[in-house]
Amino acid sequence: MNGLWLVAQREIRTRIRTKSYLISLAVSAVLVAALAFLPKVLGGDDSYDVGVVGQAPPPAAQLAYSRLPDEAAARKAVVDGDVDAALVNGDKVLANGELDQRLGLILESVHRDAQIRAAGLTITPLTVESVGADARYEGVRTGIATLIVMVLFFLLIYSAMFVAMGVVEEKGSRIVEILLTSVRPWQLLGGKIVGLGALGLVNLVVVIAAGLAASSATGFTADLPPGMGGIVVSAVIWFVLGYAFFSALAAAFGSLVSRQEELNTVLTPMTMLMMFTYLTAYFAAVEPAGTVARVLSFVPPFSSMVMPVRTAAVDVPLVEILVSGALMAVAVVAVLLGAARVYRRAVLRTGARVRLGEVVR
Amino acid sequence: MLEIDGLRKRYGDKTALDGVGLTVRPGEMFGFVGANGAGKTTTMRIVMGVLDADSGEVRLGGRPVTYDDRRTFGYMPEERGLYQKMKVAEQIEYFGRLHGLAPAAARSATAALIERLGLVERSGDAVEALSLGNQQRVQLAVALVHEPAVLILDEPFSGLDPLAVDALAEVLKDRAAAGVPVIFSSHQLDLVERLCDSVGIISAGRMVAYGPVGELREREGRGTLRVVVRDAAPGWADGLPGELTREGDRDVLLCEEGDDQDILRTAIGAGKVEHFGRRQPTLAEIFREAVA
Repeated sequence: MNGLWLVAQREIRTRIRTKSYLISLAVSAVLVAALAFLPKVLGGDDSYDVGVVGQAPPPAAQLAYSRLPDEAAARKAVVDGDVDAALVNGDKVLANGELDQRLGLILESVHRDAQIRAAGLTITPLTVESVGADARYEGVRTGIATLIVMVLFFLLIYSAMFVAMGVVEEKGSRIVEILLTSVRPWQLLGGKIVGLGALGLVNLVVVIAAGLAASSATGFTADLPPGMGGIVVSAVIWFVLGYAFFSALAAAFGSLVSRQEELNTVLTPMTMLMMFTYLTAYFAAVEPAGTVARVLSFVPPFSSMVMPVRTAAVDVPLVEILVSGALMAVAVVAVLLGAARVYRRAVLRTGARVRLGEVVR
Repeated sequence: MLEIDGLRKRYGDKTALDGVGLTVRPGEMFGFVGANGAGKTTTMRIVMGVLDADSGEVRLGGRPVTYDDRRTFGYMPEERGLYQKMKVAEQIEYFGRLHGLAPAAARSATAALIERLGLVERSGDAVEALSLGNQQRVQLAVALVHEPAVLILDEPFSGLDPLAVDALAEVLKDRAAAGVPVIFSSHQLDLVERLCDSVGIISAGRMVAYGPVGELREREGRGTLRVVVRDAAPGWADGLPGELTREGDRDVLLCEEGDDQDILRTAIGAGKVEHFGRRQPTLAEIFREAVA
């Protein structure tokens, strides 16, 4: 175990000091933080500017009034686009072309309100009660799920690539010959996976922290659904499982070649599988309650991205999460054992690319 | 005592090793000599467990070598390998730790080797910034940092300048003097002759000559007879086998055959004999003969 730990420490120490790691960490944090601001920027504010001439109507939540001196000024303001519409003397609306349908409804109801109030009547507003599932946060949850898909995908592919590159570096430089006379292949492989995985985890935590911090800065936190803590924890756990699976594959494929130039070709099956997992997870984010999403959230390795997405987007019974997690854990163990076997047999065979069939027998 | 016994290895139809065996006693320095592709590297890789033999055995102290034994070996592979971006001292220390040294022990062993190999000024540099010769010193330090119980070095002298060769030779002698069996391969036969207690010459996967350097020279030394005669009358050697040349006022006769006593009597009769003796072959000559 000591050997594994030493290898992991070296990976962390070497990688964390490189500029590229620090830059990628900063960039991903900034990107996610920017995404948290995005709804505010894109959605604009959802209230209307209404110019008022003469008598002011009662206040309404989505309307911002500005006083105008006369009808001529109001016409000009509407045409210039300074206001969305203008209300003249409480009974005429000036609009630029067709009046926005929603604004029309609001103005209509404000107008009705004013008249009813003037007549001395009061109305009790309707109370609304949901008898279905709590759907208030549906949009936000889908957004978070989509974000999780992207973050998980990039972190997984990025971390797994580094494992593969590290394996090839050691094999290509033959340093592995010396290493394997002092540590076991599983210690060398395990140390690399653990070390680079810890860095990926740091990256994930930083990204989540940046996202949450930005959300609270924009006041978006109030809109976050309850159980956000659970969503975050589940994303982290699924990252660890998915990373273990894909990095083991990356190491096994990487150990077949001796040069970095050959890496992309030999990794193609792994990157294809990852892309496919990403696409299914993306699909699940769009339709989290569908049968496809539900089924795939149990099938490793798709579950590693589909399940956290489902958990974020809809309420998933705990037992489903546990079953899916157990299946994935079994798959991870199987892949780790297989990868260790391939790695052990291929990593000392330098020169031409080793065919997978020669080492899995 | 390190014993290598009957190693065989085939790659497809090609026989790489065909029953290679040798023994290195504690404190003995063994030189491994052979043409490129003769099987030196394959043998060393099998000793280090980097490669599996088809048959044969490597024993240490009478028992088959285990992984734990090999962790105490120092190894310098034919193809040098270091982490290019890692700093010199950090790298040597890391390998010390991997071989099981405690942090403090690894640090002090590293400092001592850096001093000894003349790398003090480069200890904080990344390996890739070093000249090839200096990289090789680092490679050697990596092989030595854990005070290995056995040293297996594949071409440790290639690419070194004369000063570095001397420094490395001193280090190896020290290790041998401490009772460590040392095996190294080299194409520099004069160096092997100077440093090694015994040599093995390998050709096409077989050990063709093997033993202590002195014995080997005597055994192979049905060497040429060399006679130097002064003031001899021309034509004195006409009846003798061999080749006569003139160097200044001396005649030099080189004989591959013939009865040495007859030759000596004839020479004494002809003039003043200044030299009479058999020249022992150099290792290079033995090597050429053996692999021919």
